[in-house]
Amino acid sequence: MIFRDVFDDDTLVITDSTNAEDIEDWDSLEHINLIMAMEKEFGLKFNLQEIGELANVGEMADLIGRKLAAK
Amino acid sequence: MNTYCYADIETGQKESFSVRVTEETMDSFKAITGDINPLHNDSDHARNRGYEDRVVYGMLTASYLSTLAGVYLPGEKSLIQSVEIRFSKPVYIGDILDIEGEVTEKNDTFKVIILKVSIKNQQGKKVLKGSMQIGVAE
Repeated sequence: MIFRDVFDDDTLVITDSTNAEDIEDWDSLEHINLIMAMEKEFGLKFNLQEIGELANVGEMADLIGRKLAAK
Repeated sequence: MNTYCYADIETGQKESFSVRVTEETMDSFKAITGDINPLHNDSDHARNRGYEDRVVYGMLTASYLSTLAGVYLPGEKSLIQSVEIRFSKPVYIGDILDIEGEVTEKNDTFKVIILKVSIKNQQGKKVLKGSMQIGVAE
């Protein structure tokens, strides 16, 4: 849902391997919007190093999972 | 011009300024944009469409949000990333607009602020409302 809201596309299908190369509108500004939306949705804060190490949606989901477990 | 850094800015902080919309302002906007729509250029046409007189271009009113971010909050270190606005009421030539922004969110990771923005006329009626996402340089 977050991806569909940020990219304003209800047809978007996301998998663990999805990354910025797969979504045309996924540019640097949308990346900021995506991370901020994730922070709001899950009540988390990410730092730039964590964000920089993410290669795809699967790794993002894993990071969110680890941070939620640590709360 | 203000020169707020990200660290200087606090949630709840507000800045505002006022402008008067004139014929010259409208002429300049038309020269830049080429928008010759009669709603903005023909008093009779505007009245026939139910307005008091020629309606000021909505995007001209909205353009003062550039001033709000670029000069007042945060000012020099501003980089506007996105703007979402709604036009609530028509603006007419001669109106005095009060443009205000209030910081409602800060994101420390990206050094981004969210401004709740509003523009009111001399009667205190809101003519524009919305939000801006602004990056703030160090």
